[in-house]
Amino acid sequence: MMEATARSRIRPLDLLRSGGQGLSTRPGRTMLTALGIAIGIAAMIGVLGISASSKAALLRQIDDLGTNLLAVQAGQSVFGEQAKLPEAAPAMVRRIPPVEQAAALTSVSASVRRTNYIPESETNGITVYAAEVETADTLQAKLAQGRFLDTATVRTPAIVLGAVSAERLGITSISEGPMVYLNGHWFNVIGILDPLPLNPDLDRAAFIGYPTAAKLFDTKPNASTIYLRTHPDQVEGVRALLGRTANPENPNEVQVSRPSDALEAKATVDQNLTRLLLGLGAVALVVGGVGIANVMVISVLERRSEIGLRRALGAKRMHIAGQFVTESVLLSLIGGVGGAVLGATVTQVYASRQGWVVDIPVAALAAGVAVALAVGALAGLYPAIRAARMDPAEAVHPTG
Amino acid sequence: MTVLELRDVVKEYPGSPPIRALEGVSISVARSELVGIVGASGSGKSTMMNIIGTLARPTSGTVWLEGRDVSTRRDQTLAGLRAARIGFVFQQFHLVPGLSATDNVATGLVYRRIGRAKRRQAAEVALRQVGLGHRLDHRPRQLSGGERQRVAIARALVGEPALILADEPTGNLDSKTGEGIIQLILDLNRQGRTILIITHDQGIAARLHRRIELVDGRVVADVRNGEAA
Repeated sequence: MMEATARSRIRPLDLLRSGGQGLSTRPGRTMLTALGIAIGIAAMIGVLGISASSKAALLRQIDDLGTNLLAVQAGQSVFGEQAKLPEAAPAMVRRIPPVEQAAALTSVSASVRRTNYIPESETNGITVYAAEVETADTLQAKLAQGRFLDTATVRTPAIVLGAVSAERLGITSISEGPMVYLNGHWFNVIGILDPLPLNPDLDRAAFIGYPTAAKLFDTKPNASTIYLRTHPDQVEGVRALLGRTANPENPNEVQVSRPSDALEAKATVDQNLTRLLLGLGAVALVVGGVGIANVMVISVLERRSEIGLRRALGAKRMHIAGQFVTESVLLSLIGGVGGAVLGATVTQVYASRQGWVVDIPVAALAAGVAVALAVGALAGLYPAIRAARMDPAEAVHPTG
Repeated sequence: MTVLELRDVVKEYPGSPPIRALEGVSISVARSELVGIVGASGSGKSTMMNIIGTLARPTSGTVWLEGRDVSTRRDQTLAGLRAARIGFVFQQFHLVPGLSATDNVATGLVYRRIGRAKRRQAAEVALRQVGLGHRLDHRPRQLSGGERQRVAIARALVGEPALILADEPTGNLDSKTGEGIIQLILDLNRQGRTILIITHDQGIAARLHRRIELVDGRVVADVRNGEAA
């Protein structure tokens, strides 16, 4: 007699095998289809990895440069004119206890030229500042060549060039004793600065001493900008005091800024770009998913007789659907893992070329593979249902 | 003991007018019988095979398999029944190209939740029974047509079904190879297996115990060949 409990059942491992069989039979097609998903996942992981690495690099740079540098600027008066800081401002600022270093700069109305034959209007975009001797230390500026101004050279026609200024003037070395021409006076170039990541505007500056500026160009001692370093824990406290200290009469005119904020803002701006690129990666993933669905539909049609055979061997509709969903998920798993590896490699190569610390978020890798699996399951659903609904009687007799 | 019984089975395919493939077929098959269902193409023999194999349901009438009415069962119940009680042999063999002979035969047990090692053991036994003990690891493409059909027969045997349904088992083979398959089927029947062969070949049908002839969806002859086998 027939067993009363004759039920159609399959072991999960066998379901997995049945899904894998279809893929291993057509390796070329499997690889090409998986590639679609791999590109999408690789794009997303690459974007996340590169942006994470870039951010890590930026934050490390900010850390190196210090977030305790503040800049006090004269700002504008209520009438919109360029305001001036009082003469006493640098001294007052230095008197705030947590201020560790400070240096004043005053813009000088002069242009730097290579020779007196170049017209005065060609400033090369270089701003001349009268600078205190503490400027280099306060800005933590390193010298590519030579020295910064000291108490002796502030009284002589000596000039220190920012990195960009030197480049624009065509001065690459100070060993030959190069000179530049400032409104009727020749200056010795005694030093060239390295680029200043926190103060890129000063890369296009040239620095001379206050006494020299006052003597030759009639520069007033009122500072246009005071740079200061505070104790790292007291930055906000000092920041609040600066307006009243630097300009007690018009504290509102004073503009206080923190140069590291600009770099941090850059990290935030990058996030918007990251989102955009992630969106593009998602589009690639959807296209990859449609590709899988397409291939699966074709596969179902091609394998009519296999479906018929399996039904004859006792497969339930659910087993057939399960087989094709499994196949689709395996396909996207190959793509997902391949994409994760590809994305991580791209990040690795790109980040190390940029000299960044490589930072590939593990969560992004896991999420990438998970997303691929979800796409595969979704893409396989419709073909699987079609396969399950196939009439077994027709499927076993392909010719009808 | 009756393995299979059909009573007044009618099968209509939708259309205008509907096509009647079977017009009230009643037969009964006892255990250990070897029955040929013969008919020209369009006589309804494929439809009959589908209905007996529970791949299709009759429009009206009743089908009993081992005493159970299967004409109105749910799809998953029928799937379980096919997995355990019916073995199919097809004209086109339907082997999976990527699998060895053993694994192809073992797929006959996949839907009975039997582990792989046990399945392969049973598959090897079945392959030896059909005379392919020396071809266990061959792929279908490395086998001759006759060997392929033997693999398919082993796959039908491996689950020890109550009924083996063979649809034109020699249809894709030359006459000499076909003869070998017929001999194998006769042997298996001698060992007590109940086998139904659907064929258009009167020559084959004449060599079986019993011949049921279909014309236009009706049974026109049901003859026992006393001297057969």
